[in-house]
Amino acid sequence: MRKQLIIGLFVGVALAQIVTPLSMITRRESVLQTGEQFKFKVAPVDPYDAFRGRYVALRVMENKVVVASGTKLDFGQRVFAHIAVDEQGFAKLSGVSTVRPQGLSYLEATVVNPGRGGGTQAMLKLPFDRYYMEEKKAPLAERIYQRHARRGKEDAYLTVRVKDGFAVIEQLYVGGKRIEDAVRDAKE
Amino acid sequence: MGKRAIKWLYQELPVLVSKGVLAQEAADRLREYYGEIKDAGKKMTAVIICGVLGALLIGLGIILLLAHNWEEFSRFTRAILSFLPLLIGQGLAFWVLCKRPQSHAFKEASATFLSLMVGASIALISQTYNIHGTAGTFILTWMLLIVPLVYLMQASLPAVIYFIGITAWAGNYWNDPLMAVLFWPLAAVVMPHFIWALRKEIYTIRTTIMALVMAICVSIGAGFSLGKTWSGSWIIIYSSIYAVLFGLGNRAFKGLTSNWQRPLRIIGVLGILFLAFLFTVRFVWQYIGADYYRLSREVSGSTAFLDHLITFAIIALAMFFLYDNARRKKLTLALFGALPLLAIITYSLRGQEIIFPLFIFNAYLLILSLVRIKEGIRNNSLAAINSGMLILGILLIVRFFDSDINFILKGLAFIAVGVGFLVTNVVLVRRGGGR
Repeated sequence: MRKQLIIGLFVGVALAQIVTPLSMITRRESVLQTGEQFKFKVAPVDPYDAFRGRYVALRVMENKVVVASGTKLDFGQRVFAHIAVDEQGFAKLSGVSTVRPQGLSYLEATVVNPGRGGGTQAMLKLPFDRYYMEEKKAPLAERIYQRHARRGKEDAYLTVRVKDGFAVIEQLYVGGKRIEDAVRDAKE
Repeated sequence: MGKRAIKWLYQELPVLVSKGVLAQEAADRLREYYGEIKDAGKKMTAVIICGVLGALLIGLGIILLLAHNWEEFSRFTRAILSFLPLLIGQGLAFWVLCKRPQSHAFKEASATFLSLMVGASIALISQTYNIHGTAGTFILTWMLLIVPLVYLMQASLPAVIYFIGITAWAGNYWNDPLMAVLFWPLAAVVMPHFIWALRKEIYTIRTTIMALVMAICVSIGAGFSLGKTWSGSWIIIYSSIYAVLFGLGNRAFKGLTSNWQRPLRIIGVLGILFLAFLFTVRFVWQYIGADYYRLSREVSGSTAFLDHLITFAIIALAMFFLYDNARRKKLTLALFGALPLLAIITYSLRGQEIIFPLFIFNAYLLILSLVRIKEGIRNNSLAAINSGMLILGILLIVRFFDSDINFILKGLAFIAVGVGFLVTNVVLVRRGGGR
């Protein structure tokens, strides 16, 4: 009896252990399939994560937004950043609100610097800060970007799919090429 | 008689018989009296250690393999890959629960492996989808998914992994005490298992490791989570924590002789002595009110309730041990446990002259060392005497370094302390005691 109970409980725990990663996957796959695509300009650097491997850390260029008068933000607050597209086709932040906006594309973000009230600029942390790569390739990817940056071409960008405020990274591009291809070309 | 002694006796018996010291019948009767030596326990421990080490290494190896980030694989392949190790781990654990529910080695090893595989699975998914953010959410998800294994499989290593995990998680929120303070309720989740393990098998290596890891993690976790409304309160909090560990170690492990088997006590004593020495240093009291860090969220009033509650509980527990040891006239134990009381007194008088706390803690260490030495002489115990001498020696040396005494006197003092050590030991050994 006791053994059966333990086995029953174990099966429950095992299910939770499967469902958790499974739901992580399905949520992101659904955004990748049906979400709206945006291009964010980024600057990569290269750190290391002991568990999850090497990644290129990304600094999103477009992270400042003018706060509408009447809106007050706090440090660390979760907000909704409205996304618009500029003339060159890159995403920019067009506004920020504390409730989910209707009929707009938006992202969930965190306030890093709330600014000084209405009319001033606030700085947000967008929900993409890393792009995982093979361990040998991540530092190389960073060097490729630096080379581009020195020539005044800060042309790294990230394609991101967004749905209902939830963002999933699709691909990192440097100099118009997928970063994986750029690294492969550089090696040859 | 100890197992080792019986083993030695059995080795000697044939020699004694052959040399005519002992009659064969007497030897046989001795064998009968002491019975067979049970080596099974030792063998079992070896099996558990090997099994768990194997599971740990294989599990960590798989995590590293996945961390390589095989970008040739499609997202679908990677999804399969992230479930494969998890399912293998679950299958193993399930088989053990069904077929080998009595085997500690199997349960410990398979639960450890599964614990690591849950982490590997979430890590690979985080990698595939470039999931942002700090390690906080990742670690907490992982830990919550493995903690039931501690109870379902009566396994201690997952509890150790869990404890290290929640400490790392709290560290992630070092500047956000409202989150970090949740370390304590999270830690409480594995306490019943720890108490169960202590009751059931006080001698085994796994309770020792668990106690050691927990004592260290609690020391670190406290730093992230407590005393954030009250600058300088670490003086009281840490004194109380080590006094509590010391008190628990003396209780839970009563009747044990080897220090290695009393990790709570060892860490408690070391912590108490380290703090007492620290409190004899001037700058600790000079800068007691200064905070060197900035918190992301202010805590005060009702938000600090949990912080205050846990702090108060720890201090109260320390005071209980002090009172209890004093009541039972255990002078040395009470003296070690008195550190938090002294910390409270000196902290509340911190606005006064700095010389006051310095004097108190120098006197405290001096009395502690003398009591240890006296106790050692009375019980003829070299270990007690030497530990007392060591405290005294360090105290003298430290004081000599920070005072303006010339080198000749300092040198002579060092020599005096050294000679004192040697003479005491020689005298005791000569006396034939020196256990």
